[in-house]
Amino acid sequence: MTATPESVVHPSSDAEVAEIMIDASREGVGIFPLSSGHRAHPVRGERPYLELSTTRLDGIVEYEPADLTLTARAGTSLATIDEALRAHGQWAPFDPPNVGERSIGGLAAVGDSGPLWMGYGELRNHVLGMTVVTGDGRMLSLGGRVVKNVAGYDLLKPMVGSRGSLAVVTSVCLRVYPEPSVDRVLLLRRDRLSDLVAAAHSVGTAPVMPVSSVLVDRTGVNESPALVIRLHGVEETVGADQASLEGHLGIVFEQAPSATALCTAVRDRGATSNVVLVASALPSALSEVIRALERLEPETIVADTYAARFRVGLSQADPEAVGNARASIERLGGTLRVARFPADGAEVGPTSEPSPAEKDLIIGIEKTFDPMGVLWPARSRR
Amino acid sequence: MTRPLAPDVVRGLTEIVGAANVITDPDRLLVYESDGLSAYRVSPRAVVLPGTSDEVAAVVTLLHLEGIEIVPRGAGTGLSGGALPTPDGVVVGTARMNRIIEIDPENRLARVQPGVINARLTEATQPYGLFYAPDPSSQSTCTLGGNVAENSGGPHCLKYGVTSRYVTGLTVVLAGGRIVKLGGAGRDSAGGLDLVGLFVGSEGCFGIATEIEVRLLPIAEGVRTLLGIFETMEAAGHAVTEIMGSGLLPAAVEIIDRATIEAVEASIFAAGYPTDAGAALVVEFDGTEAGLDLGADRAEKCCFEAGAREVRRATSEAERAALWKGRKKAFGAMGRIAPDLLVQDATVPRTKLPEVLARIAEIGERYDLKIANVFHAGDGNLHPNILFDRKNAEELDRVERASTEIMHLCVDAGGTITGEHGVGIDKRGYMSLVHNETELEMLRSVRAVFDPDRLFNRGKVLPDPLAET
Amino acid sequence: MSTTTGSGSLASALEAQRERLLPCVHCGFCLPACPTYNRLGDEADSPRGRLHLMQAVVDGRLDAGSDAFHTHIDRCLGCRACEPVCPSGVEYGTLLELARETATRARPQGKLTRALLAVMGSPALRAVFFLGGRTLRSLGVARLAVRLIPAGARLGGIRLAFAMLASSSPPGRRLQKAPVNAVPSRAIGAVAVADDDSVGPVPRGSRGRVAYLEGCVQRGLFERINQATVRTLEANGYEVVPVAHQGCCGALHAHGGDLRNARRLAGANILVFEGVEIDYVAVNAAGCGAAMKDYGTLFESNQEMSTRAEAFAAKVRDVTELLSQAGPRRGAPVSCSVAYDHPCHLLHAQGVAQEPLDVLRAVPGIDVRLIDRADECCGGAGIYGITHPELGGRIGRDKVAAILREEADHACTPNPGCMMQIGAGLLLEGSSDVAVHPIELLDESYRRAGYYSATGDSQ
Repeated sequence: MTATPESVVHPSSDAEVAEIMIDASREGVGIFPLSSGHRAHPVRGERPYLELSTTRLDGIVEYEPADLTLTARAGTSLATIDEALRAHGQWAPFDPPNVGERSIGGLAAVGDSGPLWMGYGELRNHVLGMTVVTGDGRMLSLGGRVVKNVAGYDLLKPMVGSRGSLAVVTSVCLRVYPEPSVDRVLLLRRDRLSDLVAAAHSVGTAPVMPVSSVLVDRTGVNESPALVIRLHGVEETVGADQASLEGHLGIVFEQAPSATALCTAVRDRGATSNVVLVASALPSALSEVIRALERLEPETIVADTYAARFRVGLSQADPEAVGNARASIERLGGTLRVARFPADGAEVGPTSEPSPAEKDLIIGIEKTFDPMGVLWPARSRR
Repeated sequence: MTRPLAPDVVRGLTEIVGAANVITDPDRLLVYESDGLSAYRVSPRAVVLPGTSDEVAAVVTLLHLEGIEIVPRGAGTGLSGGALPTPDGVVVGTARMNRIIEIDPENRLARVQPGVINARLTEATQPYGLFYAPDPSSQSTCTLGGNVAENSGGPHCLKYGVTSRYVTGLTVVLAGGRIVKLGGAGRDSAGGLDLVGLFVGSEGCFGIATEIEVRLLPIAEGVRTLLGIFETMEAAGHAVTEIMGSGLLPAAVEIIDRATIEAVEASIFAAGYPTDAGAALVVEFDGTEAGLDLGADRAEKCCFEAGAREVRRATSEAERAALWKGRKKAFGAMGRIAPDLLVQDATVPRTKLPEVLARIAEIGERYDLKIANVFHAGDGNLHPNILFDRKNAEELDRVERASTEIMHLCVDAGGTITGEHGVGIDKRGYMSLVHNETELEMLRSVRAVFDPDRLFNRGKVLPDPLAET
Repeated sequence: MSTTTGSGSLASALEAQRERLLPCVHCGFCLPACPTYNRLGDEADSPRGRLHLMQAVVDGRLDAGSDAFHTHIDRCLGCRACEPVCPSGVEYGTLLELARETATRARPQGKLTRALLAVMGSPALRAVFFLGGRTLRSLGVARLAVRLIPAGARLGGIRLAFAMLASSSPPGRRLQKAPVNAVPSRAIGAVAVADDDSVGPVPRGSRGRVAYLEGCVQRGLFERINQATVRTLEANGYEVVPVAHQGCCGALHAHGGDLRNARRLAGANILVFEGVEIDYVAVNAAGCGAAMKDYGTLFESNQEMSTRAEAFAAKVRDVTELLSQAGPRRGAPVSCSVAYDHPCHLLHAQGVAQEPLDVLRAVPGIDVRLIDRADECCGGAGIYGITHPELGGRIGRDKVAAILREEADHACTPNPGCMMQIGAGLLLEGSSDVAVHPIELLDESYRRAGYYSATGDSQ
C-alpha cells in the first residue's frame, strides 16, 4: 500500500531544487520534500517518487540582532539557530516537540508553534519571509525581512503549515525575541487529568496571561497529571503574575525544581508514539474533548489549554474508535487529524477534513503552485 | 463619465436591499468618489448598502451575473485608495452591517459583522476585562471588515502583532455569491491551508468578509508612557536601537521629527513639545504593574544615554493622552498647514532607519518639498508625509517623483513598499520593485482561485492592467 | 459633470468659505460620531460626505439646487458631534449654516420651516403662537391629542407636535413630592455627592452682574426655567439685571441657513444688551448659547460689527457654567434619581460637559445616572422630528430607550429643546413623565433649604 522512494536527492541550492522540480514535472515523477529526514505522512500511489532532502540547504544567511530578525536556509536545525540567537541574548519562542532536531524549513512547512504561541503568537506570525520553489520549479521570494512585510496577498500564510503541498521551502526569515530574564515554571498536580480542567479554565480567563499553559497526563515515570504554567519576564513581574494567578485560581502552585528538564519532557511527550493524533477545539470544550480522547485509551495526552489543542500518542489506532472520537470532537466545533501515521502503514481512521468549500479553494491554490501535481501530499488530496 | 446601471439591475438590487440602500443619483455618488486617499477620484455606477450576509451574497450574485465589478468599502478611511471606486464598478458598502454578534469571554473570542468599528469592539469587551489588540490610528472610525481587508497594524502592534494574528475565522462571500466559512477558532488549519490568513490582507480582491471571528486579550494591568525629547533624529534613532536591543519589549515606540513637531505646535493641537527639538520619541510599556516602572526606568536611561534633552513620564491617563497628543494629532495638524498631504507608508529594517531618514531629508531638499516624518520606529514602519498643493501641477509632479525615490530607497534598504496601508491603487506601480514577474503572476493566479473573473476590486494591488482585462 | 445653474448666487456664503473647507483631509474620523450616518450607513449622510458635497458645490461640480445637496444638508441634525472628533478642527457648524443658506437660496425650504422661522423672528407672532400653545397645554388638549391621534398615521407629525407641547409642562408635584433625605432613592451606580458644604451664603452681586436671555421657547413655554435661572443665580451671589426689549437670538435662523435674519436678530440683541452694564449673559438653552458664543463668526464679514459681536460673545455663559463657577452652593436634599443626557449644543458646540453635573451634585440626595450614549443627539434639533419623522423618530426612540433603561425618577437635560424632544418621546412611549432641567432641581433644593424665604438667608 505505501510506496517506497526510488531514491533521496540532496540539492544544495535553490537552483538545483528548481531543476529537480522541472525534471520531475517532465518525467511524471513525484517529489516528497523531507526537511530533517523525518516524515509523518504515508505515501500512497502508483507513480515513482523521490524524496527531496533539504539537509544540504544549510546555514544562517543573515542575522541582525538589532533588527530581531534571522534568515536561515531551510535545512538549518533549530538547535543551530538557537545557539546563534542565545549568543546575543535572543531566542525563537517556539516549542513544538523535539524542536532542536528539526529544521527551520520543516518546522515552517508543518507550521507547528507549540504552546508558547499563547505568549508570543503562532509560528505563522513569526515567519517574515520565505524563499520557496513551487511544484513546477518556479523560485519565489515571499514576504521579506521586515516585521510588516506584505505587499500584495499574503502567500506566506498558506505556505506555513502547507506541509510540502505547495512548494519546497528553501529559506526562512524569522522574527526573533529578546530572551526573558526569568522563565518560571509552575506546577499543579492532581490524580486525574480531568481534575485539572477547572484550573486550566481559570488560567484561560485570568487577567494575567502566562506564556504557555499545558495539561499533561504525566511528566515522568510514576508522576501524576499536571498543569504546567510558564511565566516570562523579570523577577518582579513574574512574582506579581504568579501571585495574581494564584489569587485568581485560589490555589498555590508548586514551583518546578528543574524547569528546563520538565519543559522539555512536557514538550516532547508522546510525539514519537506509533500514532499521533492532534485534536483542536474551543477551550470551553476541554473536558468533553478529554473524555472523547480518553476513550481511545491513549499512551499520552498533552494539551495546550489556551488553544485547546491536544496531542495524543497511541500505540495503535482502532479506526472505528478514532472515527467516533472525531465525530464527538467535530460536534464540539473542533477537529481531529493525524500528525504521525503508524510505521506499518496501518489505517488510522477517518479524521477531520476542511469543508467542501474550503477544499475547493485549497485544491485551487495547490494547482496554482503545483500544476503538474508533482508534490506528493498534494496529489493524494486531489 | 460613468455609465449608469441598467434599470433592471437597479430594480434587482432594490429588491434585495430596499430602495433606500441603493444609490444611483450621480450627485449623491460624489461622496463615494474617494476613500481616505482623496488624491484619486472616481465615481462608481452605484452604491449598495446590504444589511446581512445573505443580502451581500444576493447582491454579489446579481452583479456577477451581469459581469459588473464590485468594490467593497468599509468606512472608507484607507490611505492607499483600496476602496476607490472603479468607473465600471458598483461599491458594496458594509456600513449597515455593524452588529457585534457575540462576545464569548470564556474562549476570549468575539464574532462581529464587518461594519463594526474597531474601537467599539474594545468598548464592548471592556466589561469582561478584554480588548481587541490591533489599534490602527483610525480605530475610532475604521471597521473590522476594512481591517481584515488591509491586515491593519497600529502603534501597539509592535508588541501585539497585526490583524492577521487575531482573526480566527471568517464567513466570506466569494465570486458568484457563494457564502463560505473559513477556519474557526476551534478548528485546526494545519489540516488544510491557512485560508483565513490568506484572506486577511487581500485588499478586497478575494471577496467580502461578512462575519469575522477575532481573538481578544486580557487588558493589561497598567501602562507607562515616556516622551523623550532629542536634539537630533540620529540621537532618537540611537535610543530606539538601545531600547530594542536591551531586551525590553515595549508596546509601542513612535517617533515624530522636527518638521512634524513644528506643524503640531503651530496648529490648534499644540502638545507642548519644544519646537527646537530634532525629534520626539514616545515609548510605551504595558503589562503587569510591578514591572512597568522597571521597564520605564531602563528605557529612560537608554534615552539619556543616547543624548535625550528631557524625558517626561506619564502616570495618569490624562498625562498619557498629553504625551501621545503630538503623535496622534500629527496628521490633522499637517492638514491645517498645507492644502494637500500625501501620507506615505513603507518599512525598512529598524537598523537602517537613521540612514534612510537622512536620505529622505536629502530627497526633500532636492525636490524642494516639505517632508515631515511620523513613524512606528519599533518596527521600522515609516510614514513620510509630503506637504503640497494639488493645484500646483508642477509641485504635484515633484511630489510624485520624490515619492517614487523614497519607495526605491526603502526597498534598496531591505524594506518594502507598504507597512500597513496596503497597496491599493496608490502603490500598484511599485509592486514590481518588490516582486518579479513570476511572483506577480503567482499573486494573480491565487486571486483567480477566489475570483476567477476578477470582479472584486479590479485594478487594485496588482500592476499591469493587461492581465486585468 | 454638472455645472452651477442660474441662481448664480451661490457665489455666496459657501464660495467665500473655501478656506474653512480645506482642512478636511477626508480621513473619516467624523463618521461614527454622526447620528444620521450611524443609522443610514450612507456617506452622503455623514459629516465627511456633506463637506464633500459642499466642496463640490464650491468647485462647481454640484448644483446647489440639486436634490442631493438639498436632501443631505437638510437631513443633518446640526448636532456638531463631528467637531470634537475632527483631527483637523473643521468648523462644521459654521459651514453647515452657510451650506443651508446656499441651499435655501437655490431652492426655498419647506413651508413648515419657513413658517416657524417667521414666527420666531417676529415678537408679535411669537407671542400669539406661544399663548396658543400654553392654552392648549393647560387645557390638557395636547396630552389628549397625543392619546387620540393614532401612532404612525398620516398625522404623526401633528401628534409629535402635541407631544412636544405637552412635554413642556412643569414636573410640578412629582418633583415637589420627592423625599427629603440625603440618601438617593436608588443608590446603585450613584455618583458620589461631596460631603463638605464649602460654599456658604454669598452676598448678592459679589460674583458679578448677569443679564439673561429670556429666549423664545423659554419665555413661551418654560418661564419656570427662566425664573429658576434668576433665583439660583441670585442664591449664588450674582446680581441679575433685567434687560428689556430683548428678542430672539437668531439661533434657529442661523441653523436653518437664514443668516440674513439671524444677523438682524443677533444685531438687535447685541445692541440691547450693550445698553446695560454686565459681566455675563446667562443662557439656559444650549442652542441659543452656542449661537451667541459664535456671534463673532456670524458677523465676520463686517469688521465693526464683528468686534462688538465678539465682545458680546465673550460674556455669554450657559447658566450651569456660572453656577458651577460659583460652587455652586448646596441646597436641601431632594431625593430622586435622574437619567442625564448631554445636549449637543452644550457638549459639542460649547464643550460644556461637567458644569451641569456640578449643578446636580449640589443637590444632596440626587442619584445621577449618565445614560448610555449620552453624547449622541436626541433627535430634537429644532423641528427635526416633524420635518424628518422617520429618521428623527428612530433617533428619538433610541434615546428614550436609553433613558428608560436607567429606570430613574426623571429624565434630565439642560436644554428646553431636548427636554421637549425627550419628554415627547417618553409620552409617546406611554410614560407620563416630562424631562427636567438641572436648575429646576437646584431650584427645588434651594426652595426647600429656605434660601428664597422672605427673610432670605443668602445675604
